Amino acid sequence: MNLDFLDDVKRMNKRQLVYQVLNFGMIVLSALMIWKGLMVVTGSESPIVVVLSGSMEPAFHRGDLLFLTNYNQDPIRVGEIVVFKVDGRDIPIVHRVLKLHERDDGSVKFLTKGDNNAVDDRGLYAPGQLWLEKKDVVGRARGFVPYVGIVTILMNDYPKFKYAVLACLGIFVLIHRE
Amino acid sequence: MVSNTKKREASAAKVQVVPTTKEEEKMIKVDKWDGSAVKNALDDVAKKVMTQKLSYVEDHSLMDGRLAISLIACCLAMFAVVWDYLHPFPDSKPVLIICVISYFIMMGVLTLYVQFREKGCFMLALERDPTGVDPDNRWRLRSFIKRYDDVYNLTIIFEDGHTHKTREIHLEKSVASWYDDNGVLLTDLFEPEIVKLHNSLAAEKKEK
Repeated sequence: MNLDFLDDVKRMNKRQLVYQVLNFGMIVLSALMIWKGLMVVTGSESPIVVVLSGSMEPAFHRGDLLFLTNYNQDPIRVGEIVVFKVDGRDIPIVHRVLKLHERDDGSVKFLTKGDNNAVDDRGLYAPGQLWLEKKDVVGRARGFVPYVGIVTILMNDYPKFKYAVLACLGIFVLIHRE
Repeated sequence: MVSNTKKREASAAKVQVVPTTKEEEKMIKVDKWDGSAVKNALDDVAKKVMTQKLSYVEDHSLMDGRLAISLIACCLAMFAVVWDYLHPFPDSKPVLIICVISYFIMMGVLTLYVQFREKGCFMLALERDPTGVDPDNRWRLRSFIKRYDDVYNLTIIFEDGHTHKTREIHLEKSVASWYDDNGVLLTDLFEPEIVKLHNSLAAEKKEK
């Protein structure tokens, strides 16, 4: 294997090596900070999600990227598309609100159903749970970009591909001098 | 007495010759199409000339400044990530806001620092006065290669320790004068040019 590309690294002194590592760190941390910044601005713990199933066709297809907001001032209404997490499960679900009950103090209980599903989501909720509440909501869908999320789905289905891509990018950044 | 000093000089010269030839055997080879690698290799050799052949001391304060800013930025970001992990999202909002904003401010500071303070300066060498009485003279080396261009611009700036007056000398030459077809840097051609630039700048000093 031709290791010539490492020559640049061998010629670096300690300070330059430290800077290469810090540079790599700053690139990763910049991405993280943008994500955290988006979390704060939208108020949602997951401001961008990927649609994983076809249960919302023809509105959303598998692989679409959704942009969410989670402002307390916007009340949830029937017909809106919400992204929610069921207690005990990590994967967020994107479905439409079917029925809603609202109390005087503003607290709500609502039922959801995927546009492309035959039945409502009660089968997906936790055992004994019949309604969803505000606390289960990750956000409301405000906009979307089609197809782009397929990359995320691929990377999760083939984790080796994900690690290979990340490793190559990491090595490239660490070795290449500005 | 005279013959003793001559013998010492001769043996000292013999000791110096062996390490330099060993180093020159480790050839510097870069991807000739990679502009930044080409410039970095030339800068490395110029640095080597200043520190080894001319025995100047390298001053790391510019680089240290850059490292310090980067380190502060990284620490801020890491703190935000860890805090958010320990206190899940809605609770960590205020801490996140502060850290994210200050992180991007540090990024801005870093960009300004590199742009205006460093200005392409890749080395600051101090010429220490042998008697230790006078303040050091400073030699600053700056270089750049324009994107996709082959002309290497080197500027050596001499600042006198006493008067703080500066003089500079430029070099603008195609990198093809020192690199061969395979991307090997021919240090035998490049190092004498650096020494020549240095000497002509030093000579001006003596005239004045």
